[in-house]
Amino acid sequence: MTRPSTLAFLLAGALALPAFAADYSVGANSTLGFTADFQGEKFNGSFRSFEAVIAYDAEHPEASKFDVTIDLASVATGDSDRDDALPGSEFFAVKQHPKARYTTSGFRKDGDQVIADGTLTLKGIRKPVSLRVTFTPAAGGAVLEVATTLKRLDFDVGSGEYADTSTIGNEVAVNGRLELTAKE
Amino acid sequence: MAWRSDRLRWGAAAKGLHWLMALGIIGAGVLGLVMTGMDRGMAKINAFAIHKSIGLTVLALFVLRLAWRFFDRRPADLPMPRLQRIAAHAVHGILYLLMLAIPLAGWLYNSARGYPLQWFKQFNLPALVAKNEGLAEFAIAAHVWLFWILVAVLVAHVGGALLHHFFERDDTLRRMLPFARLRHPPSGESP
Repeated sequence: MTRPSTLAFLLAGALALPAFAADYSVGANSTLGFTADFQGEKFNGSFRSFEAVIAYDAEHPEASKFDVTIDLASVATGDSDRDDALPGSEFFAVKQHPKARYTTSGFRKDGDQVIADGTLTLKGIRKPVSLRVTFTPAAGGAVLEVATTLKRLDFDVGSGEYADTSTIGNEVAVNGRLELTAKE
Repeated sequence: MAWRSDRLRWGAAAKGLHWLMALGIIGAGVLGLVMTGMDRGMAKINAFAIHKSIGLTVLALFVLRLAWRFFDRRPADLPMPRLQRIAAHAVHGILYLLMLAIPLAGWLYNSARGYPLQWFKQFNLPALVAKNEGLAEFAIAAHVWLFWILVAVLVAHVGGALLHHFFERDDTLRRMLPFARLRHPPSGESP
């Protein structure tokens, strides 16, 4: 690639990107949850409190940007024993690390599937995490669904004796469903 | 030793089921008493998991035992006063009921509380009912009360067997022991 064309490409990109991505506000019925495995049985959890800053361009996904902050103490799994244990130091350690954060660094396409690449910071540990993104336009906005699978031990969630994956599975499926409204 | 029971002795199958279940019931009972007082942690989670796994095993063996009973003959009652015989059979009947009811009440509690049920980390069993706190409280109360009734009935069962063995000096216990010889083999039969 010659120098002028590289410059032109970069210029075109720099000019084009901000122009396409639309900012959205996130509706109250949005959910952010996970499915994990305990003693061979799946259970669902969700975070009642999180903030998401979403800019998305369905035509040019590479111009999009997610920045999500999750209040880890708001976790709820439908079982009081578990909900008491999860904020503790062996799991989310919310006293030291009250929030988790996910920010995208780029978007790409794998066939028809849009993939967001980014970094998740959880319990003070930063690791790259990619999300499968499904964007469905709706009246006045869109529904944005994201999904991925994490390994809880990558983030030290369930440390010490709880690291036993024969009782608590290592893989955790994460799913989000955001109801987006276009910002004026 | 024959698999099937005969007129005098319990067969290997009946003996095996009896002693395996005795071991399981004592193990699950002791673990059950210890585990509830444990501090929260993996050891407690594992203790509950093993308690449930043993309980399920006892339940499965009970079904097997009941089925086997229909194929197998029972040794004849040894000579004893009528009231004693009625008491012994009543104790056996109650034990059979409890061996079924206690694991089932535990399973019911586990289901109503929404806990998973796994057999020695090998496979999972379904919930008997949907999550229901009121039912869970009833089921755990039944599980615990029936257990204490079991303890009382076992005192009668074991006490009766020991009385027969040491005081009546008959073969009541010996014919259920794995390798013991009978004290009073019928004439003409090798012990």
